[in-house]
Amino acid sequence: MSQLIWNGLFVGSFYALVALGYTMVYGVMKLLNFAHGDLYMLGAFTGFAVLGAAGGVPPGMALPALLGVLVVTMAVTGLAGVALERVAYRPLRAAPRLSLLITAVGASFALEYGMRAVAGAEPRVYPVRLGGSAAEVLGARITVQQIALVVVAVLLMTGLNLLVTRTREGRAMRAIALDPRTSALMGINVDAVISRTFFLGSALAGAAGVMAGAYYGKIDFLMGFLIGLKAFTAAVIGGIGNIPGTMLGGLLLGLLESFGTWWLGGQWRDVFAFGVLILFLTVRPTGLLGERVTERV
Amino acid sequence: MGESRLATIWSLAAAVTILTAGCGQGLLGGGQEGGDQGPIALGMLVPQSGSEAAVGPYMRNAAQFAVDEINGKGGVLGRKLELKVADDACDAQTAVAGAGKLVTEGVVVSVGGYCSGATLPTLPVFGKAGIPMIIPAANSQELVDQHLGHVFLINGTGTQQAAAAMAWITKQGATKVALMHDNTSYSKDIAVRTKKLLDEPGGPETAILEAVTPKESDYSANITNVLGAKPDFVYWTGYFQEGGLITRQLRQAGYKDAIMVGDGSVSGKLAEIAGPEAAEGVYATMTQTPETLQGAGNWIEAYTKKFGSPPGPYSNQSYDAVRLAAEALKNAGSTDGTKVIAALEAINGFPMFSGPLKFTADHTLSAGGFQILVIRSGRFVLQDALK
Repeated sequence: MSQLIWNGLFVGSFYALVALGYTMVYGVMKLLNFAHGDLYMLGAFTGFAVLGAAGGVPPGMALPALLGVLVVTMAVTGLAGVALERVAYRPLRAAPRLSLLITAVGASFALEYGMRAVAGAEPRVYPVRLGGSAAEVLGARITVQQIALVVVAVLLMTGLNLLVTRTREGRAMRAIALDPRTSALMGINVDAVISRTFFLGSALAGAAGVMAGAYYGKIDFLMGFLIGLKAFTAAVIGGIGNIPGTMLGGLLLGLLESFGTWWLGGQWRDVFAFGVLILFLTVRPTGLLGERVTERV
Repeated sequence: MGESRLATIWSLAAAVTILTAGCGQGLLGGGQEGGDQGPIALGMLVPQSGSEAAVGPYMRNAAQFAVDEINGKGGVLGRKLELKVADDACDAQTAVAGAGKLVTEGVVVSVGGYCSGATLPTLPVFGKAGIPMIIPAANSQELVDQHLGHVFLINGTGTQQAAAAMAWITKQGATKVALMHDNTSYSKDIAVRTKKLLDEPGGPETAILEAVTPKESDYSANITNVLGAKPDFVYWTGYFQEGGLITRQLRQAGYKDAIMVGDGSVSGKLAEIAGPEAAEGVYATMTQTPETLQGAGNWIEAYTKKFGSPPGPYSNQSYDAVRLAAEALKNAGSTDGTKVIAALEAINGFPMFSGPLKFTADHTLSAGGFQILVIRSGRFVLQDALK
């Protein structure tokens, strides 16, 4: 039982990190950025390239080295997100919502197959792996590395939440989420704030990408597709546009999958998880914490 | 006015004639477009994008290798061979579109097919055009069970692979076997057939039959399930990316007994993904690979020299598929589909890497040729030939 909960929470923290980018972008722009999962993939490959360029890492230094790589990768994927917004989304901001959506799908393919052209179709394997032996805690097998990853994820999410709720920058984001035109009249530079929103969301996806690469080891150019879908689901469960809700949604989806697999077997897991999603949305279309529409980011 | 209407009718009639003529040509075995002098086109559907894109080059290069070799000796029926490759992305829809493209390009024999799930829907496409198919890798029993006259499999079938797996499981003295598959036609086929063998009274039993979602990273939920059934043997029948992750995560979860994978997982990448410690000692059911072939040293060397990288899984089968197609064309003395099929059925003792070839009534190999490989220091080496 405790093993199931831990499995669910661990996977869920990845979903939550990726889902935050979805939710933030949706909050400020009402855009479903389907290329978001591919920024996760880009993060994984950036981390791979940085580790490769740095040469070998001494065995004891794996965790600190990865933290360094994490910071570099977040900067790179953040900037990639900004560039994506500038090139693909900003010119279309006044266009119908559907055009933006289709552009997002196109951007997703461009990132995937662009990476395939650069790095090849073969999956790559991270040079530094977080393996480690497991310890039994309350009947669940937990490794130090897993705890480290969850702690990093929680820190990043808390940091983001503080930034959005406590700073001027965050206030600007929330203002734009409510009403971009009025915000502009109040002297907020809407373009700049949207750029920074993309930076933050993409940086978090990039961080999740590096963490997944280092923990699971295998990365490939299509790795962002499925997690993008899952993250989107997590964001909807939690109430898309709502940051604490999205974090909860990610963890909940992880737990649903974990328990669904246990109760019904692997082939029924997605049926179970998405069945619950449909039921849930019929009862609460706004998601878990979606009623706080006024505080959307 | 009357005249121009007449002209319209005439041009319409002409267009219809041309169209039907075009169709007729396609139906009568294609390949006539280049006349009898142009090259004879062989079509090959392999994954060049998507999750299985990595295997595409191994098969395409090997087929090209055979084509160049045959052309170097003067070609077939006094004409050169030409390889036309299309992408199936390991996806049913892409595969059907690719097959349609190859048919319009006038291929006379198909020598491709890796993912069973993608190959299955292309059978009627080639069948309607009267194009024989020599399938080098895809080997789900579903391909055989349709009993289509134009389909020939030169890889061992799912039934044969399951039998080999069962033989090794019994030989290892395992008692409870966990079967894991990824719900694709190929993978599920082997798992379910192995389960059938295990369910026969006596001998080892099935601990659990677990399906996973391919292309994910975290299989801990499935592994918790599997370990809950307390198996002493795990058999994964899917592809190598998930195979590597599952092997690693099984070991991380404290599983210490035997792990075996199916032929779709035989790739050096599996050991890399799993990590050297976790991968050590993992078994595999596999037909001949370039590494386990006896006396293929020269071939591997020539291939490596030509393409700058060594051959990989299904290189040898793809090479053989082209050679077999050429042999059948030669024996048939024609590119006509029906004659080529008859020639393929009549083949007896044609030398291939898997041994002398003679098709069974089902158009499969009489013996699957499956053997057991094991990972030693990150490479698959022969463990037991199951002879």
